[in-house]
Amino acid sequence: MSMDEPPRKLTLEEWDSRYAALWRQGLRQPGYGGPLRRHIRTEGDLRLHNLRFDSSAAALRLWNLLLTENQRLRQARQQGLKLVGAMKDLGTVPVMAYSLPNLRAFYPDGAWWTPCLMESTDGLLRQAEACGIDAAFCPVRAMLPAFHNEEHFPIPELLICSAGAVCDDFSAIAQRLEHTGFPIAWWEMPRRRAPEPNEPARSLPGNLLAPSLQVECVRAELARVASVLGALAGQPLDTEALANGLRRANRVRRLLRALRQAVYAAVGTPLPALEMLVAEMLAIHFCSDLDETIAVLTGLLAEVHRRVRQRQFILPLDSVRVFWINPTADLRIMNLLEDWGARLCGADYMFTHALDVIPEDLPPLEALARTALADPMAGSASERARRIVADCRVFRAEAVVIARIPGASHCAREGTILRKVVHEELGLPVIDLEIPPLCDALLPALSGRLQALLETVRNRRR
Amino acid sequence: MQVFYTSPWVPAEWIRAHGLEACGIWFAPVPRPFALLAGDCAFACRTSRVAELESDSAFVFTTHCDQLRRQFDSLALSISHRAFLFNLPATWQTPVAKRIFLAELERLGRFLVGIGGHEPTAEALASQMGEHSGVRKALLHSASSLPAQTLAEAIARFYTEGRADLGQQSGDTACPTNGLVPIALAGGPLSRADWGLFEAVQTAGARVVLNATEPGERNLWESASVPSVVSSKDALLDALADDYLAHCVDVFQRPNRRLYAWLGERLAFRGARGIILWVYSACDLWRAEAQTLREATHLPVLQLEADEAASGWTRIRGRLEAFVESLRHLAGPPAP
Repeated sequence: MSMDEPPRKLTLEEWDSRYAALWRQGLRQPGYGGPLRRHIRTEGDLRLHNLRFDSSAAALRLWNLLLTENQRLRQARQQGLKLVGAMKDLGTVPVMAYSLPNLRAFYPDGAWWTPCLMESTDGLLRQAEACGIDAAFCPVRAMLPAFHNEEHFPIPELLICSAGAVCDDFSAIAQRLEHTGFPIAWWEMPRRRAPEPNEPARSLPGNLLAPSLQVECVRAELARVASVLGALAGQPLDTEALANGLRRANRVRRLLRALRQAVYAAVGTPLPALEMLVAEMLAIHFCSDLDETIAVLTGLLAEVHRRVRQRQFILPLDSVRVFWINPTADLRIMNLLEDWGARLCGADYMFTHALDVIPEDLPPLEALARTALADPMAGSASERARRIVADCRVFRAEAVVIARIPGASHCAREGTILRKVVHEELGLPVIDLEIPPLCDALLPALSGRLQALLETVRNRRR
Repeated sequence: MQVFYTSPWVPAEWIRAHGLEACGIWFAPVPRPFALLAGDCAFACRTSRVAELESDSAFVFTTHCDQLRRQFDSLALSISHRAFLFNLPATWQTPVAKRIFLAELERLGRFLVGIGGHEPTAEALASQMGEHSGVRKALLHSASSLPAQTLAEAIARFYTEGRADLGQQSGDTACPTNGLVPIALAGGPLSRADWGLFEAVQTAGARVVLNATEPGERNLWESASVPSVVSSKDALLDALADDYLAHCVDVFQRPNRRLYAWLGERLAFRGARGIILWVYSACDLWRAEAQTLREATHLPVLQLEADEAASGWTRIRGRLEAFVESLRHLAGPPAP
């Protein structure tokens, strides 16, 4: 096998051979590199047995970056860096933290994937119940016992969580965390609304508009967050440092924009849905290493460009173009989506504001405040739907899947609105699927619903 | 026009100062049973349904819970002209929280004028603030001496008419205490339709000595200063915002330690031996507090699903009886 063999999806076993071949051919890897299989031994990531992965060296680097995060965070602490647990805002506080040289920020929220990756051998969901947070809450409840047992991520020196127009699940779990002895610095995210007639307003990334007053409030709150971060870092987060931080974050965002454009707009599928999901997730906190995130995305983008040039695609060209809404608690569903005849042509994983380039022609705190306020979960469901509709048009979606997060407070009603708007504006078929952290037992039902959707699209094509 | 509002932290005096009738949603007509989506909060859905049916009324939704916020999103597609979403800040200890609250009061004022209210004068606002402050204070001072349902009825009058009429009641309706186990109620919305809970508690052999549901005693306080008519309207509005933010005690606040400070003081003073946590099935905010409530108060907590009341009290009664019986075993018979 050569490095340039036609792309395909590989099982973990197939990746063992592929890795050996790449190694023989002189594969160069960063310090966190290595074969994928080792993550089962070191982290207990049993789900890897059931996933299929893109065959490129660029994808290998992406997976290794993702799956070594906790180890790298521990190393960072040993090197004297301070750890910041950013919570809920999905893309704002880490930009500030990475503007200071001795801080590393990550999202403890990310523990919601642990029960999936470890195929529930972690016991986190059961332990969450013992902490008073049962299955009525979204799988992010795994975060709570992960703080208590310290087996998954190192406990940060500082926790910062947005409050206000956020999911009740998360807010309630974070509050429970604080009650159990983990102090949190809370900051207010107002519910974004449309400006009233004659009310001073400012433009936000994502073609949004918000009242100036709301932008000023978020800016004041972020200034408060900046001073907390500065106190932890032992040096103030000044304008120049933040401006540099925004520019570095924008390098990631521009790379992701290019990657999304290249993959979702391509005539075929140059990169699988699962790798795209993981790549997009890098936007929110750079997987605890901003420079490596840039390197990983640069590699992926080059691979995608090469495949598009050579018309090397992973899936049949007639795969149904599906737009995906909300992150899925089980990574495997992204594989299955493709196995059942679909391809991803766009996604809104609840953090589109972390994909938009932060304005560089504004004072940095103002620019970050505007970007934070563009959070799709802080505004109305109709506003979120409008962006989804626009993306569906750009990427020529043929169907929309809403991944309902079990127990999530926003999903029941929001899903109804999204479905209504998408259907009215585009006439596309829409389904919602509730996907638990391990969907294996539900595969017949999920498959049936998704196949019905895809069949509807195929009928419309005729 | 009647204006329904979904949180006791929306100042009803501001609505009434605009010449409109203010009514807490807990006392709105109860719609016929309707279907819920998986994950929907029955209370938020009921509020939304009432808003659809009461087409001559306006509705002030609040952002304090995700479910109500999303119901507003849904409703705004059809009745945006008579629905308003009030951004209640979750934090309270910062200048930003006050700025948001004050700006929302001003925006609400414009909405109220838009639906037929009149611009309030400083005198009208001061008068309403004075009256509400007085009634809240009177209710607060009577709370511990009134039977739970009588207090709930008085609070209902306050939230529907702005008055309480406590004069005739405080003397001749003393709480029966003999042999009844003192317990506290805490939790989310307790509507008029749910008042069967008071009888169920008493039938089970207990009495409610503290009502910390919504609306309840958490929403009663004594204002630090009485508004003066010589103040400007802006100054009065500023004072109103300060008053509400200073006294807001609720589960949605971040952090919500004021709730526990408030509860701790009153539970001890009233001698509660257990807590009934009144929670809607999809209410994450209260549901997540059950364990903290146990740990912080060191009292047994019985979590009751408010949704169950709609289909009868039988199951709730059974659970209450078992709870009260266990409380008797824990502490022996209450003092006569």
